[in-house]
Amino acid sequence: MQVERVVKTRLWLLLVGLVLMSLIVSGCATLGTQPKGWAGGEVTDETLFFGSVKGEVIALDASDGSRVWEAPLEAEKSEGGFGCTPVSTMVVIYGTPVLAGDSVYVGAYNGIVYAINASTGEARKFYPEEGKLEAVIGGLVEGSGKLYFGSVDGVVYALDVNTRDTVWRFPTGGKIWSTPAIDDDTLYVGSFDKRLYALNADDGSKHWEPFATEGAIVAAPVVYNNTIYFGSLDRYVYALEAATGALKWRFPAEKWFWTKVVAVDNLIYAPCLDGRVYVLNAETGAKVTEFDLGSPVSSSPVLVESLVIVATEEGRVYSLDTTSQKQRLLANIAELAGEALLIRSPLFASEGVVFV
Amino acid sequence: MNVLIVLTDYMMSSFGLAIVALTIVVNLAMYPLTMKQIHSTQALQSLQPKLLELQKKYAKDKQKLAQEQMRVYKESGVNPAGCLVPMLIQLPIWIALYQSIIRVLAWTPEDFLGLSQFLYSWPVVYSALPLAEKFLWFNLALPDTYLAVMVGATMWLQQKMSMPVASDPKQQTQGRMMLWTMPLMFFVLCLSFPSGLALFWVTSSVIRIIMQYLVSGWGGLVISKPEIKIRKPGQKKAALPEVATEADIVEPRSEAEKGLEYGESGGKRQDRGGGYSARLRAIRRQSGRGKDQRRKGR
Repeated sequence: MQVERVVKTRLWLLLVGLVLMSLIVSGCATLGTQPKGWAGGEVTDETLFFGSVKGEVIALDASDGSRVWEAPLEAEKSEGGFGCTPVSTMVVIYGTPVLAGDSVYVGAYNGIVYAINASTGEARKFYPEEGKLEAVIGGLVEGSGKLYFGSVDGVVYALDVNTRDTVWRFPTGGKIWSTPAIDDDTLYVGSFDKRLYALNADDGSKHWEPFATEGAIVAAPVVYNNTIYFGSLDRYVYALEAATGALKWRFPAEKWFWTKVVAVDNLIYAPCLDGRVYVLNAETGAKVTEFDLGSPVSSSPVLVESLVIVATEEGRVYSLDTTSQKQRLLANIAELAGEALLIRSPLFASEGVVFV
Repeated sequence: MNVLIVLTDYMMSSFGLAIVALTIVVNLAMYPLTMKQIHSTQALQSLQPKLLELQKKYAKDKQKLAQEQMRVYKESGVNPAGCLVPMLIQLPIWIALYQSIIRVLAWTPEDFLGLSQFLYSWPVVYSALPLAEKFLWFNLALPDTYLAVMVGATMWLQQKMSMPVASDPKQQTQGRMMLWTMPLMFFVLCLSFPSGLALFWVTSSVIRIIMQYLVSGWGGLVISKPEIKIRKPGQKKAALPEVATEADIVEPRSEAEKGLEYGESGGKRQDRGGGYSARLRAIRRQSGRGKDQRRKGR
């Protein structure tokens, strides 16, 4: 009987142990990867502003790279299932900061838009005044004293930079991860509902009926020569008439077009997750050439003089010459860093210097 | 994963329905294996009394015990690993299904971006993404308490139905442990995991309940255990009822049935669908005391 009692006790202890273990697993572990962010940066004449994976907006002196200030964004309490995980104080940033007036604005994954004083680095909650939106993944754009951005709640917001008022809201049929593009008085934005919207930047009314693709649109649109160019997750690059939204052409690839294209010299450089950069005739969509970079490209390329600078996810940075159509390896960041890494943040450049 | 996405397209773009459908399809494909596993488990359960006797008989001679156990398995045509092999075959399939659901749910931008590397070039796969996360009252990418309760409840039911009614008190304790451990663990896990996984677990459990019902009816849900009365302090000692539960005594209706009941190699042992062995019952009847009283008396 004594033995039986011991066995019983042990079994019940095991049960309690297993339940506790599942509590720990559920509370302290998450499925999939943790969001880290992939914010890019903005460069003015003197300063470079960018979002870090530690949830800070950092300002560097563009001339020597010295740190001007760093603004850790407001602490966000997020606990595991049963509060056994340490409280996370990190704000995840996916959108690239944008400078408007004397402030830098950035949308965050916690559904808050922050304003940081460009001189002092003092950060404050900008929008919404109370509570929070759903995650803001795309970047913000500024035009005529307004800030425009989309949220995971599927709404495009236009805010008054000075008063923080909501000037207008436009609901789409899906999440918005895409950074809008503004040209003249029209705002272009893609949505997970597979449509590209052209909205009047002043009042949010539709400029033309949304253009439907067969896949979600994550890439930011690019306006060039009265044409809108954007990639879609249906594996096509599209060219639409900016005035009417009519399809000019579309070009197919193997995998998703995740990032925005570069338009230069009547050519479109379209990086794809199949590891290639397609060079297309901007007017006809005919393929001029393609560069096989061997690894997916999910970070937005940047144009520096006559070179398109592209980074692959594996960490190789290439320059694609727009005149000779030759590719050259500029750097292997993973090798320089001495560890495997993923490059997904948009590239940005100033005075011939590329920032990765 | 790609099949799951295509299924979503055919299921009115409902990822929830696709999870249910794929779980059913996978279960149907594994139906023969699952049934074999259930039958093997049952056969093993039916041998428990015999094995228990052997354990008592050869408690001090482990080698002889092993030999005798093997003989019993051989004579009755039961493979002790019979219930494990189908389970081992099914395990990778379940893990693959689980992984697919996790991956397709892609609840962070990084996960979603990474998803592209696993997609086939079928056009339907690309047009179906991103998948709608709403299903019934819950978001498939977020945890849901009601669904977590359903996971626990259906798992408990399934465990209860398949639980053997052991004659050995040690086994009874183990059975009770098993009955609560898994449902509790999964309930707790579902409070944090995406509901898509919980939906997969609920559907799996419901299918297993149906399969178990087809093999053994309601099993452990209806067969009651022998009643053990616990005397409270000061309460008069009452004799335990002589009439055992209906699972204890099954009167053979004919001579032919008698033969069937006892089998060729067994002793004069009646059906013990849910109670103590005849030997233990005899001890209880003689002493007129329940288990707890016996323990106290020592």
